[in-house]
Amino acid sequence: MRSLFDRMLIDPFHRLADQCAHLVPALIVVLVTLVVGGFLAFVLRWLTFRLLELARFDRLVQRTGFASMIERTGVFRSASDLGARFVQALVWVFTMLFALSAADTPASVDLVRRFAAYVPNLIAAGLVLLLGVVVSRILSRSALLAAVNAQWPAARLIAGGVRVLVMTLAVVIALEQLNIGSLPLLVAFAIVFAGIVFALSIAFGLGARDMARQWLEAKVRSSVAEEEVFRHL
Amino acid sequence: MDDLFPTELKTRLEQIGEADIVVGIPSYNNARTIGQVVRAVSVGLAKYFPARRSVIVNSDGGSKDNTQEVVMQAEGGADDLLLVSHPVHPSYRISTPYHGIPGKGSAFRTIFAVAKRLNAKACVVVDSDLRSITPGWIELLAQPVLEYGYDYIAPYYHRHKYDGTITNGIIYPMTRTLYGKSVRQPIGGEFGFSGKLASSYLEKDVWDTDVARFGIDIWMTVTAIAEGFRVGQAYLGAKIHDAKDPGADLTSMFRQVVGSFFSLMGSYEEVWRKTSGWERVPLFGFPFEVGVEPLTVNTDRMIHAAQQGVNDLQEIYQSFLSQQTLQDLTNFVHRNGQGFHIPDQLWIRLIYEAATAYRYRILDRDHLLQSLVPLYLGRTASFVLEVTDSTASQVEERIEQLCQVFEAEKTYLTQQWDTAGKENLHAQPV
Repeated sequence: MRSLFDRMLIDPFHRLADQCAHLVPALIVVLVTLVVGGFLAFVLRWLTFRLLELARFDRLVQRTGFASMIERTGVFRSASDLGARFVQALVWVFTMLFALSAADTPASVDLVRRFAAYVPNLIAAGLVLLLGVVVSRILSRSALLAAVNAQWPAARLIAGGVRVLVMTLAVVIALEQLNIGSLPLLVAFAIVFAGIVFALSIAFGLGARDMARQWLEAKVRSSVAEEEVFRHL
Repeated sequence: MDDLFPTELKTRLEQIGEADIVVGIPSYNNARTIGQVVRAVSVGLAKYFPARRSVIVNSDGGSKDNTQEVVMQAEGGADDLLLVSHPVHPSYRISTPYHGIPGKGSAFRTIFAVAKRLNAKACVVVDSDLRSITPGWIELLAQPVLEYGYDYIAPYYHRHKYDGTITNGIIYPMTRTLYGKSVRQPIGGEFGFSGKLASSYLEKDVWDTDVARFGIDIWMTVTAIAEGFRVGQAYLGAKIHDAKDPGADLTSMFRQVVGSFFSLMGSYEEVWRKTSGWERVPLFGFPFEVGVEPLTVNTDRMIHAAQQGVNDLQEIYQSFLSQQTLQDLTNFVHRNGQGFHIPDQLWIRLIYEAATAYRYRILDRDHLLQSLVPLYLGRTASFVLEVTDSTASQVEERIEQLCQVFEAEKTYLTQQWDTAGKENLHAQPV
């Protein structure tokens, strides 16, 4: 009778107590890791912000033209703030990983292992995106300057088009690195881009045939005329 | 140095041995005009320097219109009517392709190397597309070097009041302000210089920069002044070019000339910081009034270029212009027609701020220079509108006024330079 009672009521409590004895220290370690990690993340954010301010990072970013883009997001106060928050986020990610490892459950261990295996892809995708931002910026600025100096009315549109083109390519490559299906995006972009080019060709070549001819003739005439009469040196 | 010479040229130079005068003519597809230039040079050498050994060097950039054949076949020095004395030595003639980056500067480099190799006492360079060259130009450019110990002779021309706007609006006033010598045509294209200076030029490591292209003229002038060589000018009358000028598109020309000047400001910072005031440079020759070809300028197009530049390139200007300069620029540029005006002070501060940004690499240098082109066109339109009814001498007075404002604003340049220097301690020297 007693053994039945033990088996039905006491044993489960014992098992629960055993599990708690296993889980509670792990939970405490997780909580402590999170608290310490959170504090560390906060301190490092503050430290990074001060260091970036001292190094005049905002001024540097302002020159590249990214400052206005950062401010426009409405999330970050400045480039230094963005950098500091990035460091904070990074510390948080590592804190979470440590905490999961500390939990030492099969699920958390598996999650950490899979994440660790995914880190190279994340780094590669991040680098591709960074490169895309830099290259798109340089190319779009070159296109803008060339178009303005050629006095094309749609100079900013051309520069924007160049930036979108390069960034789309970078995003597609980054998605590939992350093993996320990039094909639909690529196909959608190709269809839209080809459609725009086709529509513009038809509009310019057929709809405004006379205007196109006159514009090209005027362009050739005026550039020749100016070369012939005017010397700058 | 010998790497610059093809085998045939080496052999030819060995045959010639030594020369007193080397006349260099850089060319690229100039068959239409170079024959006349070679004839004028040959006659000039025979008439004014009959007792001197002379060599004419055509340094060609790979012409496809038989320029080199025209050079070798052009008659020269044989017209007795033009000669007051018969030459003791015939002038040798060489036509050779040059090595290096395609451009006027690379062509000059070969000419300097030939001058050094032949131990020349004087060297003269003239453009191959000249229509107004006379034999007297050779005397005026070479004689001060040979007879009076000058190292560098810049040309002095009468030009149309609208002509040479990079010279009048930027290069001449800045050369005078920064280096203290009033060389009126610092990028004229025709120069005389000593063999010593040619050797000094050759030693500089600039031949893979814009100096190898259109930057060569200002580089030669500033180097000669800044390094203390004896500088003079020669009055050559009017300068008339062939209408066709291959490869001379404004943006790249502006970038190369102004970029080279800004780069020299980094190299000779100590010199221009110490310079105060300016002095006249001796002028050889007899200045006389000449007729110049009429020019028409489309100011509307230039004004439109400036307005578009200010609208579309705001982000770029924000990165290197001060708030005040950009605000003033925006206000002035958007006035149309006769009301369009870019004042001297605004223009000068803009140029000084750009020079500082170039020195400290505040943004990509090519982008910086390209972004100045619309503003330069705006300033040119402003100048043209202002002097429409002025005579040539009134325009000269106007340019003199501009020079004085450049000089008065020099403290602004040094302030900008110092502030940027403190903020960019990591910046590499130019």
